[in-house]
Amino acid sequence: MKKNKVKLWAGCGIFCIAAMVLSTWYAVTFNDSRLVVPMDFGSYSFIPQDLPMLLSVSLFGLYALALCFLLVRSIRKNKRDTTRTNRSRRVHPRLGFLGLLGFLGFAGFWAYPATGDVSPFLFFLFFGFFGFFYEGKMSGTLMDERFRENAARAQLITYRTTFSITLLALLILCQGKLLGSLEYTLIATIIVLSLTLALGMFLPEYLLYRYDHDDRIEEGEE
Amino acid sequence: MAEFACRLKKYRQLKNLTQEQLAERVGVRRETIMRLEKAQYNPSLKLAIDISRAVEAPIEEIFIFP
Repeated sequence: MKKNKVKLWAGCGIFCIAAMVLSTWYAVTFNDSRLVVPMDFGSYSFIPQDLPMLLSVSLFGLYALALCFLLVRSIRKNKRDTTRTNRSRRVHPRLGFLGLLGFLGFAGFWAYPATGDVSPFLFFLFFGFFGFFYEGKMSGTLMDERFRENAARAQLITYRTTFSITLLALLILCQGKLLGSLEYTLIATIIVLSLTLALGMFLPEYLLYRYDHDDRIEEGEE
Repeated sequence: MAEFACRLKKYRQLKNLTQEQLAERVGVRRETIMRLEKAQYNPSLKLAIDISRAVEAPIEEIFIFP
């Protein structure tokens, strides 16, 4: 996407957020916090003062939909380009920093005792995004037969590793209650599965880079 | 991987081609040509034929399997 378009979309996002903030302020100040605090929508009847909030929420929804549409279109274009040019997809290595979101998984240890919610543990999946560091380094590489062979080898090792870890973990966890509680066992299962899936995302990119990198160490230029 | 000897470097130099040029002609990366010359990579039949055509030498002269 061109810089001008990025600026335009960022501007639209800022406008939507500003509209949301303003309408919330209006609703809180002049409309008894209607549509801000939880309310019974079964008995909802429209009044004109609701209009700013309804408009800003609709606008935000449309913006989110448009972003999703752009994302899907960009993924399709990337795939088409990959097939057409026979080069690996273009990814910026900085996307690897998204892997830091994986640390949010530790919030589960706070959220579960406080709210009983186990979903924060799923954030451990984001550790897999560290693979973007390596995919970014291999970005735009010609996918010749050796590259594809290495990619298949990396994928195979990843499958073997992740399936082994999953099997071993399930075998241990299925032995019985962890620390005397079945809930802890299930939480441990979620954590192990999330981390294993993250490894499944990270490992093929890392191994592919290593195979290619190791080759380059020995190379001789002519 | 099957062990073999590779004389690609000799035939490539006879044709005055660099690794980069040969790689471009046969549609692979330079690193692949480099690995081939060191007999560290066993090419597919298609790549072997493409290389043989590019350097104008018979396959069995370039890749020698015991």
